[in-house]
Amino acid sequence: MTKEVYVCETADIDEEDVKRFDYEDQTYCVYHTPDGFFASDGYCTHEEQHLEDGIVIDNVIECPLHQGRFDVRSGKALSAPVCVDLKTYPVVIKDGRVYLCLETEPVT
Amino acid sequence: MTVETFAATGAASSGITLERKTLKALCRRSDLPGLIYLGKWALALVISGYGVYLALGTTWVWLAALIYGTVLSVPVYAMSHETAHGTAFRSRWLNETVMWICALLYLEEPLHRRYTHTNHHTYTWHVGKDSQISDIPMTFPIWLDEVSGFGLIRSHFRILTQLAAARYTETMKSVIPADEFPRLRRNAWCFLGFYVAIGVAIGLGATWLWWFLVLPTLLGRTVMLLFTVIQHVEMAENSPSILNSTRSCKSSPIASFLYLNMENHVEHHLYPQVPFFALPALHRELKDQLPTPDPGFWRTNIEVLSVVMRRSLGRGTKARTIRQAPHMITDGGTAP
Repeated sequence: MTKEVYVCETADIDEEDVKRFDYEDQTYCVYHTPDGFFASDGYCTHEEQHLEDGIVIDNVIECPLHQGRFDVRSGKALSAPVCVDLKTYPVVIKDGRVYLCLETEPVT
Repeated sequence: MTVETFAATGAASSGITLERKTLKALCRRSDLPGLIYLGKWALALVISGYGVYLALGTTWVWLAALIYGTVLSVPVYAMSHETAHGTAFRSRWLNETVMWICALLYLEEPLHRRYTHTNHHTYTWHVGKDSQISDIPMTFPIWLDEVSGFGLIRSHFRILTQLAAARYTETMKSVIPADEFPRLRRNAWCFLGFYVAIGVAIGLGATWLWWFLVLPTLLGRTVMLLFTVIQHVEMAENSPSILNSTRSCKSSPIASFLYLNMENHVEHHLYPQVPFFALPALHRELKDQLPTPDPGFWRTNIEVLSVVMRRSLGRGTKARTIRQAPHMITDGGTAP
């Protein structure tokens, strides 16, 4: 099961920018790139540095601490010092609103 | 990933703030400033290199080689650092190409440089964690070993041979992913092969390599190391605040050019994602939150030398014109 969690209005994130989104006990980053909106885990996979202050260039998020780079569309680690891919999440846009799609635990 | 606090040394750990829109504007990448820089640097190399050519066969060649070597070595260091961060150019291929060329001239395998430099930013000037920290407090013999360049050359060739022989140190293992080591090993062999080829070529009569590459690199390294030695020396170790661990200096336009504005070193450590060409603007944005920069390159170096000499002679170590951590100041007594 997936649920759609409201993040913000599309106009709240400039193109080539990133917004932090905390939900329950997790933290995420939502990106606005020339190709659309994308989302990933909030922390870099290299060291525990949040990506919210990173710079978005085209479809790439660059970690503010060591400048490791990820493709936000796939989470793929692009260059040292990052080697482990970033976990990504689907994003849907409805009526100018950004929603993050998260897996939910099945009810037993 | 769970929300948690992480305190890598930087703006947050130093209590420095900057409006996001301003930071984003300062972080904007471009190829143009870097390409203009490369053009000016090439011109400076041609002019200073012509000085070496004119001085060949005279004793003036040593002075000419020092000037040319400074124009070569300081930007090689600064550009290898900037490209290791990936901030020199917007185009990644351009950044990586320049990084490889500069790393070859700087004598450090580029991935090793990139990986080990990360812990210098995560743990700036933290004993046992920052792989670029020098012995604290600095004494005259340590200063001499560092500034002469012998220490750095020894270190670089030791690292290259360790990588080539797959004898990875604990520091390497702590910052470099295991599956990256084969690439570093291959690169180290390529670098060592290049240096052996240079030596063989000189031995076979290509003396221009000696006068235009090897000797200037050796001489220019001293000037380069005078730039780098003052980045953190006499500042506080193990501090979460970059303001306490790192020094910025005023600088002449020529020194700023050679050093890629890295005299704004506090600013660089606070926001390492800001490219070199935006560091003066970053300084203007932050100056009300930062200590006054120390005096220029020469005055700061003379003061540092004075302090380390007095420390080695067992005399008082209070500096008059540069910032200094309180525990670095002693009244004298027993020389270390």
